[in-house]
Amino acid sequence: MSRWFLALLLLALGISGLAATKVLHIYTALDVDEAKIYIEAFQQKYPDIKVEWVRLSAGELLARLRAEAANPQASLWLGGPSDTFIVAKMEGLLAPYKESLGWQYLPAKFKDPDGYWVGIYTGFIGFASNKDYLEQHGLEPPTSWYDLLRPEFCGKLSMAFPYTSGTGYTRLATLVFLMGEEKALEFEKKLSECIHHYTKAGSAPVTEVGLGEVAVGIAFSHDVIAKGVAKGYPVVLSFPKEGTGYEIGAMALIKGGPEPDLAKIFYDWMLSAEAQSLYKKWFRVPLNPEAEVAEGLITAEMVNLVEYDALWAAENRDRLCELWQRTTGY
Amino acid sequence: MTRKRVGAGITRPLFCLSRSRAVQLIHDPVLLTVIFCVFALIGLLVVYPLVRVFTASLFQRGAFNPRYFLYFFEGRPYLLRPFLNSITVGVLVAVIGTVVGFLFAYAITRTNVPGKSIFRWIATFPIISPPFLLALSAILLLGENGIITKWLFSRFGIRWSIYGLPGLVLTETLAYFPLAFLTLEGVLSGIDPALEESAMDLGASKLRTFFRVTLPLATPGLAASFLLLFIRSLEDFGNPVVIQGRYPVLTVQAYLAITGMYNLPLGATLAILLLVPSVLAFMLLQFWVGRRSYITVTGRPSTAGLQTTEPYIKWPLFAGLVTLSGIILLFYGMVFYGAFTELWGVNHAFTLDNFRYVFSTGASYLVNTLKLAGIATPLGGILGTIIAYLVTRKDFPGRRALDFLAMLNFAVPGIIVGMGYVFAFNTPPIQLTGTAAIIILVFIFQRMPVTIRDGIAMLQQIDPVIDDAAADLGAGFFRAFRRVTLPLVAPALVAGMAYMFSACVTSISAVIMVVSAKWQLVTVALLHEVDNADLSQAAAYGVVIIVVVLGTIFLMDFLVRNLLGRWRHAR
Repeated sequence: MSRWFLALLLLALGISGLAATKVLHIYTALDVDEAKIYIEAFQQKYPDIKVEWVRLSAGELLARLRAEAANPQASLWLGGPSDTFIVAKMEGLLAPYKESLGWQYLPAKFKDPDGYWVGIYTGFIGFASNKDYLEQHGLEPPTSWYDLLRPEFCGKLSMAFPYTSGTGYTRLATLVFLMGEEKALEFEKKLSECIHHYTKAGSAPVTEVGLGEVAVGIAFSHDVIAKGVAKGYPVVLSFPKEGTGYEIGAMALIKGGPEPDLAKIFYDWMLSAEAQSLYKKWFRVPLNPEAEVAEGLITAEMVNLVEYDALWAAENRDRLCELWQRTTGY
Repeated sequence: MTRKRVGAGITRPLFCLSRSRAVQLIHDPVLLTVIFCVFALIGLLVVYPLVRVFTASLFQRGAFNPRYFLYFFEGRPYLLRPFLNSITVGVLVAVIGTVVGFLFAYAITRTNVPGKSIFRWIATFPIISPPFLLALSAILLLGENGIITKWLFSRFGIRWSIYGLPGLVLTETLAYFPLAFLTLEGVLSGIDPALEESAMDLGASKLRTFFRVTLPLATPGLAASFLLLFIRSLEDFGNPVVIQGRYPVLTVQAYLAITGMYNLPLGATLAILLLVPSVLAFMLLQFWVGRRSYITVTGRPSTAGLQTTEPYIKWPLFAGLVTLSGIILLFYGMVFYGAFTELWGVNHAFTLDNFRYVFSTGASYLVNTLKLAGIATPLGGILGTIIAYLVTRKDFPGRRALDFLAMLNFAVPGIIVGMGYVFAFNTPPIQLTGTAAIIILVFIFQRMPVTIRDGIAMLQQIDPVIDDAAADLGAGFFRAFRRVTLPLVAPALVAGMAYMFSACVTSISAVIMVVSAKWQLVTVALLHEVDNADLSQAAAYGVVIIVVVLGTIFLMDFLVRNLLGRWRHAR
């Protein structure tokens, strides 16, 4: 009798245990520290959903989705530039979700017309320079793409590979929109001769600039502020006057993901003003008009932006990356 | 010895030799089944993934198209440069590491320098800890803004860069010279000191004896150590991914091609370019070791060995030992220092925040690592011992092939093993990507050669007549293995498993290809921190890994010393 009772008790415990730990699997291209902010806030609001997540760079993440297409391991893709999302949509890796609460407030350029992805933030490519280095050499921060080739900076640059990093590819595509393909590749070739090293992750150059490992890095402005300036590194942000590229950070449901319902809860929450007000901590530019904005944030009006055609960038990604490899040899 | 000879006579009577080996096998269906299963496992989990890497490099969308090989021979820099760079680093590391390892071994075996056991202990440190930590501390110390770099610049105005070739050679030499040291220590202590003594009795000077007797006797060992280090350097992934700078090597480029570009043919081609030199070196190594037994038959020096006491030889070597050990300690010390600093390079205030981070964000990675390594270790240990037992104690058709195939992953760089698993087990019928199983299998089969070698070493210490006796008394394969062989090798098996566990905990190159959202490992998390240049957090992960590994080894030591001894006495 007592044995039966024990067995029932165990069974009940087991079931309640299962109920309490609904697990949502997320892949994110956000920096680990940043992703933690949102995921922890989400878990506080929904304590019965356990989020398991992995950080991968945008290129890696896309590769992972392709590899797992037959058997997706995660349900939601959080963060990373929209062009990788466009590629993923074209390859049938995403699931549409038009009913989302936040979908309505977004202007057309910040979302997929068919609902396969939505923008959650925007950001601009900028230069991060080491203040100490600038002072020691009596230099001003670079304000032109061509400044990077100056002998004072040559050999002391760090930026991400275009083929592993959304940041890196946005840089390459920006140059193409700015100069035309041939000249852009020529310019990248010259940059590659001035490079200290290429990084896999897009935000890594910022910390490297902060550490003094390199003098100037190319990264998204919010990364420069969050990982450089705000952390106390001697980093200063500047933008190229010729114009710079921008990303729309996006989010999407993964087609065939194991937990679509849980993923939708996260999706809706991430588009809310409540969630996007958390961007203050990372100096991101929110897309929800009701979200609170960090002080001193660089907004679109303050920067000269190029005409960035994310669809073209996405469609030409493989070709441009191969060309880039052949040109630079990396 | 007499017993052995008698035993051999009983169990292997002459008429047995005339029987075909296959017929012998039929008499032991269990053995036959075991052999079949082992072949099936090796075929599926060692050979098949490799075949898939080959086909991925040669075929595109089902059609034969060795595009990137043609590009390679055309000399496209993104294929040719990594190849030449890898070979250059490999040769330099092999030469410098062997020289350093030889001096280390010579000082320990042939002179009476003080503190030998401390030096030996320090030299094994790089073997049991995650190797890419060396690259991490190289940046902390010698990076553009490292402690030493800054000091050199402020004092002497010297500017230099650790990134690229110098950093690769430095970190890989530190990581792998201990292998040369261990190999050559065995060789040197295996050389009968009587040979050197006679040379000197015949009037040769110390120097002449060294160059005419000691060095020639150690030459095969030196060659073996050179090849071993060459293979290890070629396959190294952790150090180059951190410190290669503008000097791309094959492992990292193959990894970037697969995970960054999802360009399978390019990644596979880079992998094959890496595989060819390492397998050639491995075959040369097998040939060399097979042909000449450069370790004395008894395996132990007959006497304490001839020891140099002349101060002009001893103290310079001692100074060398102290310097090298100091460098190793400095490198690992930096990891600890970095782990407790607020913000590396800017604010060096003491903090525990990095550990708070590791135990919140990284807690599940650590648990995963321990769990999966804990599952893989006994399975791998037992499978390795069974294969060792089969290849040393049993005679069956295909024994040599089994031996070769099971050892193959020794030469196959980890990154290729991981890549092969992704290619082979990504789609039905065997779909394993994203599961814990694929990581466990990678752990088991990547470590296979070492567990087999350990197993063979253990079995060599047991007189085969004992299991023959068990067989004669009617014990089948499993009974003889479980009741006779296993208890005898238990202490060595426990030690071997502790090292396997540490190796799994610290491994990166193969598993980085197969980790997933559910199953992320602590080494991969560390690498992502380095990728993001969050050095203090990376260092904290490193400290946690080192503590786990040292804990495991101390626990093993305790078990072997106390519990196993008592257990065997009790029986």
